Order: sequence, then C-alpha cells, then structure tokens
Amino acid sequence: MRNPVQQSRLFHILRVIFLVDLFQGLWVTFRNQHPKNICTEQYPAERPKVAERYRGLPRLNRDPETGEPLCIGCNLCALACPENLIVITSERNEQTKRKEMVTFSFDTSRCMFCGLCEEVCPSDALELTQNFEMATYTREGQVLTRKMCEEGIEAKRYKC
Amino acid sequence: MPDATFLDSTELVLNMGPQHPSTHGVLRVILKLDGEKVLGTDCVIGYLHRGVEKIAENRTYVQFNPYVDRMDYVAAVSNGLGYCLAIEKLLNVEAPPRAQVVRVILTELNRIASHLVWLGTHALDIGALTPVFYCFREREAVLNIFEKYCGARLTTHAFRIGGLQYELYDGFEQEVKAFCDMFPAKVDEYEELLTRNRIWVGRLVNVGVLNAEDCKRYGVTGPVLRAAGVEWDLRKAQPYSGYEKYDFRIPTGRNGDTYDRYTVRMEEMRQSVRIIRQAVEAIPEGPVMAKVPKVIKPPVGEAYVSIEAPKGELGYYVVSDGSTQPYRVRVRPPSFVNLQALDRMVRGGLVADVVAVIGTLDIVLGEVDR
Amino acid sequence: MAAVPWEGELAQELKARFGESVIQTASYLGQNFALVKPEVVAPMVEYLRDAADFDYLVDITAVDWPKRAERFDLVYILYSFSRNERLRLKTAIADGYRPQSVVGTHATANWLEREVFDMFGIEFAGHPDLRRILMPDDWQGHPLRKDYSILEQDQHWVEANLGIESGQ
Repeated sequence: MRNPVQQSRLFHILRVIFLVDLFQGLWVTFRNQHPKNICTEQYPAERPKVAERYRGLPRLNRDPETGEPLCIGCNLCALACPENLIVITSERNEQTKRKEMVTFSFDTSRCMFCGLCEEVCPSDALELTQNFEMATYTREGQVLTRKMCEEGIEAKRYKC
Repeated sequence: MPDATFLDSTELVLNMGPQHPSTHGVLRVILKLDGEKVLGTDCVIGYLHRGVEKIAENRTYVQFNPYVDRMDYVAAVSNGLGYCLAIEKLLNVEAPPRAQVVRVILTELNRIASHLVWLGTHALDIGALTPVFYCFREREAVLNIFEKYCGARLTTHAFRIGGLQYELYDGFEQEVKAFCDMFPAKVDEYEELLTRNRIWVGRLVNVGVLNAEDCKRYGVTGPVLRAAGVEWDLRKAQPYSGYEKYDFRIPTGRNGDTYDRYTVRMEEMRQSVRIIRQAVEAIPEGPVMAKVPKVIKPPVGEAYVSIEAPKGELGYYVVSDGSTQPYRVRVRPPSFVNLQALDRMVRGGLVADVVAVIGTLDIVLGEVDR
Repeated sequence: MAAVPWEGELAQELKARFGESVIQTASYLGQNFALVKPEVVAPMVEYLRDAADFDYLVDITAVDWPKRAERFDLVYILYSFSRNERLRLKTAIADGYRPQSVVGTHATANWLEREVFDMFGIEFAGHPDLRRILMPDDWQGHPLRKDYSILEQDQHWVEANLGIESGQ
C-alpha cells in the first residue's frame, strides 16, 4: 500500500507534467462552444426587446378617445428636471378658459434619462418610451420639438 | 570621454498614460523603473473629475439622486442606497420593511454585477481572455432584472428618498430565484478556469501584499482589508437596511496578496447569492414609500452614513442648512482611498505586477475622481 | 431636533486630557462629534489612535461657511475597529490658517488632505507633497468654495491648454 503522501506527490507531478490544470480550463472553454450557448444578439437584424419600464426617448401622449393632448402645461416636468432642459410655453385658451401648452422643447443631448420628469407629470402626458435609437447627425437634431415628441421618432432602418 | 547621457542611468521614468487598456479608466501612473523592477510610482488622477460635490450644492435633494449613480458607474445601485440612507437619516425617516428587503435584493445583485466586472477585467489584464465573456454573459441576467425593475441597466436611479418609486414587476421573485439557482454553477465554472491554473497562481500569489496593519494605516476597506485577515464588514458591524436579519459569512484571506483578494471576492459572490435567497423568500407586504414630504427640506444639521459598497466603505457626509438644496455633500469614495495604497503595494515588484495590483484594487475612476 | 450633549466615557477622556481646547462634545441623530480648537486637532488624532484605539481615519473634509469669520469647518471622521465606534472631530479655521497635517499618524491623510487643499485652498503644515490632485496642477482658484460659482472656470488655463474659448 503506497504511502498516501507519496501517492499525492506522484499525482501532483503527473498533473504538472501533463498540464492537467490547463486542460481543465480549456475543457470549460470547449464546452461553451456548443451552439446552444451562443448568446450574441445579431443587431440590427434582430432588435432587442427592452423592458416596459425602459427609460428611452420621451413622448407626449394624447387621450386615446378624444385625441386631445394630455399635457396641461403645468411646467412640473421642467421644474423637476435636474438639467433644466425642458422648456414649455403655454397660453390661456379663451374658449375652454384653461391653460394650454403651446411649445415643448426637450433637449436629449443633455438628458440623463433619469425619469424624474415622467414621475412628476400629473396627467400621464410625458412618458419615456422604449425607443433607444436616438442618433442624429447634428447637435440641433437632438433637441426634440413638440411635434417630434407627439409623433415619436422612428430610426431609419438600413438594409443589412 | 563622451559626455554622460540619459542612457547611463539605470532609472527609467515610464508613463502608464491615461489611455491604457489596463488602468480601468483614465488613470495615469508614472512609474520609476530600474529595468523591470518598480522603484516608485506616482498616480495622477482627476481626468474624470466632474465636480459632483459642487453640483450637489446646486440641485435639490431629489434632483441630485440621479447624479450619484454616475460615480461608481459599475455598481450604481449601491451609490443610490448610500445617498438615500444619508438623506433619510437627516430626515429621521426609515424606509418601510418591504422597501428595505427589495433594496437588499437589488444591492446584492449589484454587488454580484460589480464583482463580475472586476473578475472579467482583472483576468483580461492578467492575460486570461476567456472569463470576461462568461462574466458579462451572467451580468446580462442581472442587468435584465434591473432593466425590468427600474428602466435602466447601468445608471439605475433605483431608489428614492424614503423608499422605492416602483412596485415590483410581475415575475420579479421568479426571475431572481432563477438567477440564484443558475449562478453558483457559473461561479464554479470561473473557479475551474482560474483557481488552480498554474499561470493564474503564479501571477497572483505573493503579488501586491498589503498586510492588515498597512490596510488600517492607509484606510483601505472592502475586500482588500478582508483579504489581509481582518474580518470586518459594515453590513455586520453597523447594519443598515435590515442586513442584521440575514445570515451570511464574511470571507477573509490570510496573506493579503492578490490571490487572497481573488478568493475573497469569489466567496463574496456566493454569499451574496445566499443573502438574496433569504431575502426573496420573505418579501413582506406593505407600502414601498415612507411618508416623506413632497419638497424635502431636512432640518439644519449634518450626518455621515456609510455602507459596504462592493469596493469598500462608501460614505456620504451631508450638511443641511434647512433649505431645499444640500449645503455640502461629501462622498467618501472607497476607490480613491484604496488607490493611495498602490504605491505601497507595487514598490519592489515588477512592472507586470502593477497591472495585476491595479486590477485587484478594483478601482472605478468615476468614483476616484467624482 | 437639535444636538444633544454627549457625556460618554470618551468625551470625558478628551475633556480631561485637552481641557479648554474641547469646546463642545455633542451628539446629533446618534452620531457623536466633538468641536475642538484648531491647534489641538493633530495631537488629538494621535492621542485617539494610541490611547483610544481609533486606528482608522475614515475621511477628512471641509465645509465653507463664508459669512463666518472662521470660514472653514474642518471635519475629521475617525473609526475604531475594536470599539466599533465612529467619531467626528470638527474645528473652525479662518482663511489662511495652516492646520497641522496628520499624515504622520495616519498615512491615508496624504491624498485626503491634498483633496481638501485642492478644493478649498486650506494648506496643511507638514504635508510631504501638497499639490493639487483632482484639478490640473496649474489651475487657479479653489472650486468648492462658495464664492466660486458653478459656471466659473480658470479662463486662462482653458484657453491655453484646450484651445477653446470656454468650457461652458
């Protein structure tokens, strides 16, 4: 019966000579080559499905039944923004005797998408959507006007 | 007789510039070398200084919350936790139990995510090119949970002063439990790749030794202190957010070398899974937000609150003058203080060890420079 | 709630040893702090390390109160592993006063004091290497002072080094 200390020493020498520890690591890498382990997303051919609560580009919502803009021009989003990048002008509508939003400017180049504007909006008008494709060719293109916020921005799809 | 030139000296001053793949950010280390032996170093930082503490004096308490995520951007949730705990201390409110448990779950997931980045990039610097892919693949699972919960993967802005903004989404518990079931096997896989690999052992054992006394002198905390043998963790010493309810071990090392820091962080990942499992079993019902006024105006005073961030002791010293904006917010960054010990750790070693030590200190330049 | 007086054992020890220099020992929201005279800070940090086992200097920072004569509040936060206790030492210093550096007692004070110097302009006497750490070395002005507005910059440095008119 060989001495257990001697036996483990022999084992150890064999492990060192035959690079057992390195092959164990290589086996892990080899195991991960199986096609079922591929987790690369082929963007832009397949676009990722982002979460519902994702904080992307802003959108001004309209009432689904009447089609009226939900924004009441209260300026709370502009006050909540840490970067002061929302600029709203509003004027009093003589017919409904209520304040109405006229222009809405949102500067996405300075926005950090924190979601504070979405949180304070009392009428669910301002919402950060799942749209994350917001690249433009110019710095001015990063400033969203009311029209762009209401209609949403569709990223240009190239053939790939 | 030719004149003496710079070639006659054996000392070489080498610049490991701000743009370098192994400095984990914009860190400049000026090395004084004798061949390959390091005689001294000088760190130049401040390339990522954004004046976060100055910004804090010009924003309200709620508005400043998103800015803290951007300091330690790898583990953004902990920064938010520290800040919210500090303001809650000033206001003398406590988050409701449900919010506290969810905070613990998210913070521990964030700790796992931070250690995965550390492991991947540290292994990449040493030369092991495979673990980084596997670490980031597991990190995707964690970031997906963050995305579904609060809407962002990296700069999460997950917590609010007084609790949480969002209720848990449907399927949160299942996904977290599935992650806990899947993850320990992956940690075993990383260990299979690295722990007994002769190259890994050869590059890490007895490199960058920092013993316990030096750790305390340099104010170094976190896994670096625990690897030196000091069994100290703020989650056990001064528990916050309900950590006293969970049963977990503090892993320690023996020699304080780079290999011990590696084993400590691997074990911390396993212990984090243990905490998450305990927390997700028993999420109490109730509100997620405490009764906090709409406009936050803490009374005049100051408080220092610190948490165990993945990198060390992250502290917030907030001074309030009774108005809606903080008077002074000081962030005590663990990476900044840990980086000071770099000189002590690499002196007398080789140049290749500088890369290993920067990796093992686990610094994030966003936190060093703020 | 206001600060309540703190009369624990440590407070008694400090008052006995340093007498009149300890202006006030109080506790706010359960966190103990001691307001002391500036000359006694360095000896007190050393005494706390040797006699009371406060072996870990957590942070050194400053707060600017421009309307006061002693404009800066220098704050030292210390922690003891064995006692699991945290202590804040505060001292009020005027602009131009040079406090004694505690680098000899805690090596971690090296970069922390450099940052206080960089941001506030408080020079520490006895510091081995007092130069700017976060701002560029030849920057003029100390950013975290209250009279330095958030949009202010060292115009000359920006033009000379970045080649643009303004960073704002």
